[in-house]
Amino acid sequence: MSLAPGSPPAVEAHALVREYKGGIRAVDGLDLQVAAGEIYGFLGPNGAGKTTVVRILTTLLRPTSGDALVGGRSVVRDGDAVRRLIGVALQEAAIDPLMTGRELLRMQGALHGLRSKQARERGQNLLERVGLTEAGDRRVGGYSGGMRRRLDLALALVHRPQVLFLDEPTTGLDPTSRAALWREVRALNDEGTTVFLTTQYLEEAEQLADRVGIIARGRLVVEGSPTALKAQVGPPTIHVELADAEGAQRARSALRGLGALEPAGAGGDIHVQLRTTAGKAAIAPVIRALDEHGVQVESVEVQMPSLDDVFMAVTGATLEGASSNDGSPSSGDHVGEAVPASRAPEATTAR
Amino acid sequence: MSVGAAPRPRAGAVVVASWRRALNEVLRVRGALLPATIAPVIFMLGMTGQFSRLTDLEGFPTDSYLAWIVPLSCLQGAGFAGAATGSNLARDIEQGLFDRLLVAPVPRAVLLLGPILGAVTRCLVPATAVLAVGLLLGAEFTGGVLGVLALYGASIGFCAAAALWGIFLALTFRTQQAGPLMQQGVFLAVFLSTAYTPEALLRGWLAGAARYNPVTHVLELSRQATVSGLEPSLANTLPGVAALVGLILVLGGLALFGLWRIGR
Ligand SMILES: Nc1ncnc2c1ncn2[C@@H]1O[C@H](COP(=O)(O)OP(=O)(O)O)[C@@H](O)[C@H]1O
Ligand SMILES: [Mg+2]
Repeated sequence: MSLAPGSPPAVEAHALVREYKGGIRAVDGLDLQVAAGEIYGFLGPNGAGKTTVVRILTTLLRPTSGDALVGGRSVVRDGDAVRRLIGVALQEAAIDPLMTGRELLRMQGALHGLRSKQARERGQNLLERVGLTEAGDRRVGGYSGGMRRRLDLALALVHRPQVLFLDEPTTGLDPTSRAALWREVRALNDEGTTVFLTTQYLEEAEQLADRVGIIARGRLVVEGSPTALKAQVGPPTIHVELADAEGAQRARSALRGLGALEPAGAGGDIHVQLRTTAGKAAIAPVIRALDEHGVQVESVEVQMPSLDDVFMAVTGATLEGASSNDGSPSSGDHVGEAVPASRAPEATTAR
Repeated sequence: MSVGAAPRPRAGAVVVASWRRALNEVLRVRGALLPATIAPVIFMLGMTGQFSRLTDLEGFPTDSYLAWIVPLSCLQGAGFAGAATGSNLARDIEQGLFDRLLVAPVPRAVLLLGPILGAVTRCLVPATAVLAVGLLLGAEFTGGVLGVLALYGASIGFCAAAALWGIFLALTFRTQQAGPLMQQGVFLAVFLSTAYTPEALLRGWLAGAARYNPVTHVLELSRQATVSGLEPSLANTLPGVAALVGLILVLGGLALFGLWRIGR
């Protein structure tokens, strides 16, 4: 990350807290900074507090304490100025089913100060941009989920916002629609729009975000570029599957010199895992060493640490499918400096 | 590409856009206007059929109960049209549509004007239908043009007040389940007035309620159209106008309070 010299961060939050009625502390002392021009991926399981943060940053919700600035303006004291800088597509993609796409874009234009001629032209451009030219004169009630999301994005762009907030823009979308939306987000970013995007999908954060902030239970647990975060967790793991359990002992001694061996898992002895910064480059030496020791190998695979591993390392829970309140602590064997680097093999995920 | 703060929206354009959207509720939902129009007409017919001889009582200013009831039904139709604004807003809040409006750089109060204007426009349909059927059945415009103006003015004002009431409840409860409360508020406000009989014939607490109920004055205002004993005059108009202004100020204040509370 680097803040462009001279330009203030697009988004910053200071000790942000939001308590809902009933005492739920959905955001619990959050600090973050998003540089202008960045795509910031706000990653966290269901119920982590992502939507609450987005609603605060977009002035829909007041923080219980703390403050946040968007484009240097306080969301608490200067909401109107913030609203002139931002575009928002919320989680539900709520759009009036009785109106056509084109009508909605025109209304959005009025809401954001475009003259009616401008609004018409802009609406036409945006319909083309999100591939809804033909559907533009149909009522939104008949749109598919993907079409609604695309229209929702177009609506958020009518006034060319400096900062675009997208709350789980691809949740529930099919892979094609998801890829199309990713392309659009990248294109927008290339044009200079700062994007603040929440997601529960690791892949989305990895694919899109310049920097990722992982949130769990209302707190930012870790932040950085996907690459840096994964490097922090540790080197890639070489996962060797043996043809039979008898070779396990020999395999372990063969590989000892090539990297750090993971302790033998509970799931059987046909799996051996080796962590090495060499990554892919270690495949050939590994196979050679095993061959020299006469070990029969079924498969060799390199596994890069994933953001899930990052999440696991900092919270002790897995991200995908985890909800913030299941809070299961990780089982004993991998806690500490050794972080489980793979989700796939049964051996290490038997928790 | 240039990125700068977007221009400041013009309130007029926002109001027109949201007014048009509010009209969709009746123009694009097939049959949506029917119940709202037919109910007050049926009500008027039923009341007239049952109570037409009430006018024989001493103290009834007119000898046509129909003439007495027509303005009431107009107000009721207008009031329910107004309260529907609340249900529509509650739906928009529930579905997240209102958030889209709230993140626009528009003063929040401006966001309410379009829906209120929409209600006022819609309320002309039941009010006019009631009036037309009333005339067909023999009611007369005893108050002439001024009387008709007073009737429409009262209907529009009452509709706006009911809309503000509905908006306040929608912003407070944020669920369409508050819909009945919106309608019942309108019903009660009308019921506890001189809706069915003049104040002189009311007894006990009903008489007291009717005397202090601002809707009584709004009714008097509207009755200048058809009730022969209530000729159009400043004396018959001012209390009603004052009552409407008061209602709109108080309920408008509540609606603004509801807006202020959003997100807190
Ligand atoms: N309006 C609300 N009232 C009370 N609790 C809420 C409300 N909205 C969200 N919460 C709670 O706050 C926490 C965070 O929710 P949310 O911000 O929606 O998380 P996410 O978007 O990451 O799924 C959850 O425990 C949720 O149940
Ligand atoms: Mg959410």
